[in-house]
Amino acid sequence: MSTLLNISGLSWKVLNKTILQDINFTVSKGEVIGIIGPNGAGKTSLLRCIINQANILASVSVSGSVHLKNRLITQFSAKEIAQHFALVMQKNDSIFALSVQDVMKMGLLPHKSLFSLDSDYDKSQIELALSKVGLSHALESLFNQLSGGEQQRVLIARALVQASQILILDEPTNHLDVYYQHQVLQLVNKLNITVIMTVHDLNLASLYCQRLLLLNKGKLICDGSPKEVLAPEQLSKIFGLPCQQNVDAITGATQVSFYLEESCMQYSAISEPLSE
Amino acid sequence: MNKVSTSLFALAILVILSALAAITFGPADIDSSQLMACLIGSCQNQIANIVIWQVRIPRVLVALVAGMGLAIAGAILQNTTRNPLADPYLFGIVSGAGLGATIANISLADNLTIALPLAAFLGALFSVIIVVFIAKVLQRMEQLLLAGVAVSFMLASITQFILYFGEPFATNRVIFWLMGSLARVEMSNFYVIASILLIAMITVFALHRQIDALLLGDESAASLGVDVDKLRLLMLGICAALTATIVAYCGGIGFVGLMIPHIVRQLIGVTTLKLIIGSALIGAIFLIWVDVIARSSLPHAEIPIGIITSALGSIFFLFIMYRSRAIT
Repeated sequence: MSTLLNISGLSWKVLNKTILQDINFTVSKGEVIGIIGPNGAGKTSLLRCIINQANILASVSVSGSVHLKNRLITQFSAKEIAQHFALVMQKNDSIFALSVQDVMKMGLLPHKSLFSLDSDYDKSQIELALSKVGLSHALESLFNQLSGGEQQRVLIARALVQASQILILDEPTNHLDVYYQHQVLQLVNKLNITVIMTVHDLNLASLYCQRLLLLNKGKLICDGSPKEVLAPEQLSKIFGLPCQQNVDAITGATQVSFYLEESCMQYSAISEPLSE
Repeated sequence: MNKVSTSLFALAILVILSALAAITFGPADIDSSQLMACLIGSCQNQIANIVIWQVRIPRVLVALVAGMGLAIAGAILQNTTRNPLADPYLFGIVSGAGLGATIANISLADNLTIALPLAAFLGALFSVIIVVFIAKVLQRMEQLLLAGVAVSFMLASITQFILYFGEPFATNRVIFWLMGSLARVEMSNFYVIASILLIAMITVFALHRQIDALLLGDESAASLGVDVDKLRLLMLGICAALTATIVAYCGGIGFVGLMIPHIVRQLIGVTTLKLIIGSALIGAIFLIWVDVIARSSLPHAEIPIGIITSALGSIFFLFIMYRSRAIT
């Protein structure tokens, strides 16, 4: 697999607080990578550096480099970055009554010149992208009236219209119930493009990502398969809770369970009489 | 032709018909056949010819471009700040113009024909510069609106202070000017406003996709390659120039920039191209007819146009509030 992204020695300090420290990893074409870690670990900051948001990498507080296809990301214009990366955030809404079609048309922006109008080809691309996320019927619907899961699917479809090579998702399953969490991540998996996403839920990350990056206090602690990264000793140390690794009987995926010792004792107190 | 194109085409026809009909209203009795004869250059009545070409047409054309300009400025500001209550007046533009006009009135007794609009224009630009400077110092461009409200009150208080100690005749002149009127406009005013309007529309058409991208948040727009702060600053500059020019020639005409985009969103759509074209057309129709009311509802007198737009605007907003209460 060819290397798309190369992050090397990336560090970021703000007012003596370490946001990221010496991050090194590469991303190959077609990989689905999950960035996991506790709150404040630097997951979203890492995503912001990768896409050089607000020209963050030009800041004196940032060192190291991000190369996209062997070219420094700082040498790309904002428009070129948008042609390579599509970003789907936790939550997007608008005070105005935007239709799904209006939101989808935004994805055309990085490929359009000034004054340009929509062509028939653009319309067919929008329809194709919506059909891929199973929302062909929603073209004229109001974006704000869709469910959280449907909104995320529209934004993923917008990313497809954007025709970028790397899809960046920042906590795509936040605000979603269990059904939509699985629906959205399953969809992301089926797209066959390179995906980098931050995920809070370790079991979801394990189920849908081929590779995980575990961050803690701005450092990359572990980079590997879900089985390697979700090692109980490592997770217990980082999350401060006892942890156990299992293999899910149905999916075969590595899963982890955390428990408080108190709740464990309470559980055994309830379950013991039953077992007798 | 789809529904939106049909609506916009119908509105464009309505603008032309409104402009033609508005020319027939006024103290001098001019009917439509006389109007058509004068327009094609075969006018028998020389007085009617002079009234039409030197009084009515400049006035109707200024009402047309002023209505378009104020409505477009409101629409641009609302979409770029994602705030449906954003209006050129909230950015201190009118207060700045008022301060400029007050200083010109108090300090210059003569040559006010040129000095008054020029001072108003400089005052409006001055207020925008302060607003942008404050937002830049705070490093929060999204606080432009709050900075605008603060600057607006500050400049209005300075104006009132000057007027309180000013000569009564000059004070009266400023107060009447602030109420807004198209009674003294000339064809040259139309050319100036139309030129700025054309520049504003070309810029907005060029950048319509970038402005649309802002509708789903700054971060989303930035991820699509938009330089959010630069775009917002450019749009504010355009709106300031447009509003300042209109206010300089026509005085204070409130609520158009707030009310018209609101109607267009309900009827035509929320994205920039639809909103700008719709606002320009409905804004033109609105101000043409408000000016007709202003000059024909009282015998031998005119009602300041700003009073009518404010009255209609406030009733409109009460209606909107009532309707939204009924829906919820």
